[in-house]
Amino acid sequence: MEQQLIISVGREFGSGGRVIAEALAKRFDIPIYDRHLITEIAEKTGLSPEEIEKYNENPKSKIFSRTVRGYSNSIEDNIAEMQFDFLRKKAESGESFVVVGRCSETKLRDIKGLVSLFILADMDAKVKRVMEIYDLSEEKAKAFIDKKDRKRKRYHNYHCSGHWGDSRLYDLSINSSRLGIDGTIDCLEEYIRRRIKICG
Amino acid sequence: MTAAQIFAVIIFAAMFLMIVMDKIERHLVTLGSGVLTLTVVFGICMKNGSAVWNTLALEGFTKKEFWYQVSESESKGINWATIIFIAGMMIMVEGMAKAGFFRWLCMRIAYLVKCRTIPIFITFMIMSAVLSMFIDSITVIMFLAAVTIELAQLLKFNPVPMILSEIFCANLGGSATMCGDPPNIIVGTSLGYSFGDFLTNTGLAAGISLIISVVFLYFSFKKEIVGESSGSVDMSKFPKPSEAITNKRDFIISSLIFACAVVLLVTHATTHLTVASIGVFIAAVTLITSGKHAPELLKKVDYKTLIFFIGLFIVVSGLEETGILELIADFIKKISGGNVMLMVTIILWVSAIASAFVDNIPFAATMVPVIQSLAETTSGIQLTTLAWALSIGTDIGGSATPIGASANVVGTSVAAKNGYPIGWGKYCRKIAPATVLVLAVSTVYIFVRYL
Repeated sequence: MEQQLIISVGREFGSGGRVIAEALAKRFDIPIYDRHLITEIAEKTGLSPEEIEKYNENPKSKIFSRTVRGYSNSIEDNIAEMQFDFLRKKAESGESFVVVGRCSETKLRDIKGLVSLFILADMDAKVKRVMEIYDLSEEKAKAFIDKKDRKRKRYHNYHCSGHWGDSRLYDLSINSSRLGIDGTIDCLEEYIRRRIKICG
Repeated sequence: MTAAQIFAVIIFAAMFLMIVMDKIERHLVTLGSGVLTLTVVFGICMKNGSAVWNTLALEGFTKKEFWYQVSESESKGINWATIIFIAGMMIMVEGMAKAGFFRWLCMRIAYLVKCRTIPIFITFMIMSAVLSMFIDSITVIMFLAAVTIELAQLLKFNPVPMILSEIFCANLGGSATMCGDPPNIIVGTSLGYSFGDFLTNTGLAAGISLIISVVFLYFSFKKEIVGESSGSVDMSKFPKPSEAITNKRDFIISSLIFACAVVLLVTHATTHLTVASIGVFIAAVTLITSGKHAPELLKKVDYKTLIFFIGLFIVVSGLEETGILELIADFIKKISGGNVMLMVTIILWVSAIASAFVDNIPFAATMVPVIQSLAETTSGIQLTTLAWALSIGTDIGGSATPIGASANVVGTSVAAKNGYPIGWGKYCRKIAPATVLVLAVSTVYIFVRYL
């Protein structure tokens, strides 16, 4: 692909955002940075992927952390900054990729080839999905979704000025319950192809 | 309580809370709180124009004693001497960093000890303490930690124990002099103490503590460091110290300015030059000699910290002018029952515990008028004794946790950015006991020497 394309996928937990991002990466034949981002950072820093996973997309504890002249003692903050740097370098090198979360819609806002998406879903659909994947009861699945989304929201809103999930922050926000996961992927693919046409 | 007192306390408490919450930048928090103190506490509640004027303390600039001081004098309101001195040192340090001074010094010492791990561990601890006596610990740790990681990667050792020890020693070194740590500058300029006063009092305590700490940290980390270091070292692989120097002329000039700053500070009780004069002089010389690079150095000055100080001094003045700090002093006097030893212990240990969790600068600025009031109303206690207890408590206590002092935050952040995350557990396991040990030694030192 000659023209740079970066697809940023924000998502609610259980909305199928990651599956959609993976499918888009396949359809446009570009790499995806989600778990892979953790592996790349692990290789670069010598930390184990498990260690990075522990702090990944986690908000820092305000009581137990402090920032001095841009330096933060919070491991969460430092891992986040490493990921932002990594994404920025990849983007500035002209590479095309799909990235899941990591405030990428804001951090890469000035990159011309960015298409930012936010995937949401009805609570019922999210609960059903999470119950299946994680083998949880309805009550536990709902609590799990709330917990995960609360964390994502805090992480996002700490690192960005805009609010997580606010439609004004993204090119397109879409409810995956309306068209189903596959339908949503088709719809997004068409949208992105049109964007490429217009920009190209 | 009067309305003025209530508002002064609310503003102070809200300011402290917002600093801890870290949602709004701390300089904006203190500045906003300062404006509220001037308008609500002094203006609306007290209707006292002179309190506003005294707090702004602008008159001081026109007075000879602000620049040239023969006898000791205390200052109130915004402590401009502290702000000017810190600004001057910031400019000097930027000049030194630009010339490659710190990196050169670290590499030079590593070369002198032939890049062997244990000698690097010990010499870097001492260097961290000595440099922090004159330069802000943030800069010292920023460079030391970076070089430590670089050496660790070349020598294949874990840099975490070394960085933790350097942080601890930077805070310890900072306690030795008047300009080593912001609380000391505040205590010194507020109470009219000299560089020599600090060096011969807190400096001696820091010297004793440094010896004990080096031994303690060596045995605490020995296994981790010795276990990983290899015997022979191929020095040819290492970057040469001279490669750190970006410009030879700038390097020589910045080294001379630093030497000049040290001499001026050490002799300021004899020359009668105040720290404000020294700050202005050092900044001026650095800017003049850096020529066309002067605007670049000025841009790098951490103005946010200077604004933070201005706002903070105003808020503390609000507590002072409304008599709140006297109430705190009375409270300390009451619980100590007039027992001088207990009073000193409370000042030192409460300062230390508070500084382990909250910024020690607001704490020290608040406590200075409190100890003044205590010394005035309690027989058998010298203000100097309380001042040394306060300085040691705030400076050393900050070492105990990763957020206690600026050097801790910067050091752990540099480590994390390079793939060595240091959580609370890893940090506190070895450094908190070292902090308690030094505090205990310092308490005994104060008891034996002054009481």
